[in-house]
Amino acid sequence: MARIGITTTVPVEIILAAGHIPVDLNNVFINDKEATRLVEVAEDAGYPRNICGWIKGLYSVVVDGGNIDKVIAVTQGDCSNTHALMETLQLVGVEIIPFAYPFDQDRDILKLQMNKLITALGTDWASVMAVKKRLDQVRGKVAELDRLTWQDNTVSGFHNHLYQVSCSDFNGDVDVFERDVEEFVKKAQAAPEYTEDLRLGFIGVPPIFNDLYDHFQKMGARVVFNEVQRQFAMPYHVDDLVEQYRMYTYPYGVFRRIEDIKVEIEKRNLDGIVHYVQSFCFRQIEDMIFREKLDIPILTIEGDKPGKLDARTKLRMDSFLEMLR
Amino acid sequence: MFCGIDLGSRSVKLVIMDHNSVQRSELFETVQFYRQYGRPTPEGLVVDFKAVGIGENCDVVATGYGRNTISIVGATVIAELKAHTVGAIWQTGLTNFTVLDLGGQDSKVIKVRNGKMVDFATNDKCAASTGRYLENMATVLGISLEELSAYRENPVELSATCAIFGESELIGRIVEGYSVAELSAGVNYTIFKRIKPMLTSLKSETIIFTGGVALGSAIGQIIESELGIKVIVPKYPQLNGAIGCAVHGQEKRR
Repeated sequence: MARIGITTTVPVEIILAAGHIPVDLNNVFINDKEATRLVEVAEDAGYPRNICGWIKGLYSVVVDGGNIDKVIAVTQGDCSNTHALMETLQLVGVEIIPFAYPFDQDRDILKLQMNKLITALGTDWASVMAVKKRLDQVRGKVAELDRLTWQDNTVSGFHNHLYQVSCSDFNGDVDVFERDVEEFVKKAQAAPEYTEDLRLGFIGVPPIFNDLYDHFQKMGARVVFNEVQRQFAMPYHVDDLVEQYRMYTYPYGVFRRIEDIKVEIEKRNLDGIVHYVQSFCFRQIEDMIFREKLDIPILTIEGDKPGKLDARTKLRMDSFLEMLR
Repeated sequence: MFCGIDLGSRSVKLVIMDHNSVQRSELFETVQFYRQYGRPTPEGLVVDFKAVGIGENCDVVATGYGRNTISIVGATVIAELKAHTVGAIWQTGLTNFTVLDLGGQDSKVIKVRNGKMVDFATNDKCAASTGRYLENMATVLGISLEELSAYRENPVELSATCAIFGESELIGRIVEGYSVAELSAGVNYTIFKRIKPMLTSLKSETIIFTGGVALGSAIGQIIESELGIKVIVPKYPQLNGAIGCAVHGQEKRR
């Protein structure tokens, strides 16, 4: 039973079917009390200052005592910095398994990639599909948690983010995670409704700030839609696993994401969108496409290092809410 | 009487207004203001209102680094972009425009329609398009800020994206023999290039140009000629945020 690090969401069913523990390196990095130090570890090793903080954090999680046996690196469908991450990890002797989402969602190529991963980890389709069935139950419970967020208004933006983002690796233990979700949902079903006057959608990669959701909530606005996190949770209800990973919007370019976002803006009755971008990330360029295609006020906020929101960002959040009111 | 305070990064602006006009205004250097008149307490910043000349019957409204970052005991704190919007409306009587506020460390662009802020952009992570950059460049050139901000003809090309590295680039151009006028114009044009994308995406027929940088003539003229839109510098460009605060106080009273 190996601990397999992943650089972003991959078909986690395959890792679990092979009897290994999936570890989303992003979650380990951001939940580390010394996340800032992890960024510095990578910079000390030679990572440039003007490179994404997440990539640096991922590097350090692996080389700095993360107890990771090998890493599945997503070489297409996430970001090209991952290539250099792979290479610098190989440089220090870490075993890497590449995985690529085909840009055009080509079914055959995606299936081939999954087959290769199945072979690399030594499992088979029957076992993978058995895990898929098991995970469908858990994904269904997380989807209910998401529904409680926007429809019953009993879940905070942060918890919506937390549980959905955790579906990339199910915190390494599906049973424990499922019980945790069940307990949370039970409490949320009986919880009083939130009464914020503004409903926000959060799009883009998960934030490197640790107080973003709380800050919005403190200012009378609640995030009721976490776009990418919801994609990690895959609430699609399809039997075909290849199809499930084709429906997953995040790795396939911005326009499919926009279609998904448009539907949720209407469904969840959003007042505004917060587009989070990471400093030095290519996705900053895509901001102009969201602004062109989405007919809703958008606030773009940029994060660099892990930690609390800075005064400037708070000022901009504050003004955005003021504008929506 | 109504008092507005704008706690900026370089200076603190204070205005006292009655219903229709600015009665008094003061400008303090920020650090000095905090040292001399401010006292941090668990409830927030206590400002010695009496020492800065604010009477007891004055309603104080303040703005600055985010409503949740500063808290002044005895004052209502409003969002900075709101203060600037309200100030620009009061100063010009217009309701459809774009505010361009270039301050000590901030560049703000606010699109206003029917008297309401509908979109905005601010500089983030970099202060290369602000007053502080101009101050540094004036120091390098050995001229006053006033002189620097008057030149706009034959700008020298400056390409550094960093305000600090911009200094060494400017020194390189001095060595190449360009005149102070051309170098200064280059500095002013650099500011325009940095704010142009924000102005283009939040365009109006009229720009209300405020903040300390608006006191100089060149940048406003460059914007007018390059973008073909009217630039209005109101009577009190630097006090715009403070005026917005005081006007907000008046409106609340009504």
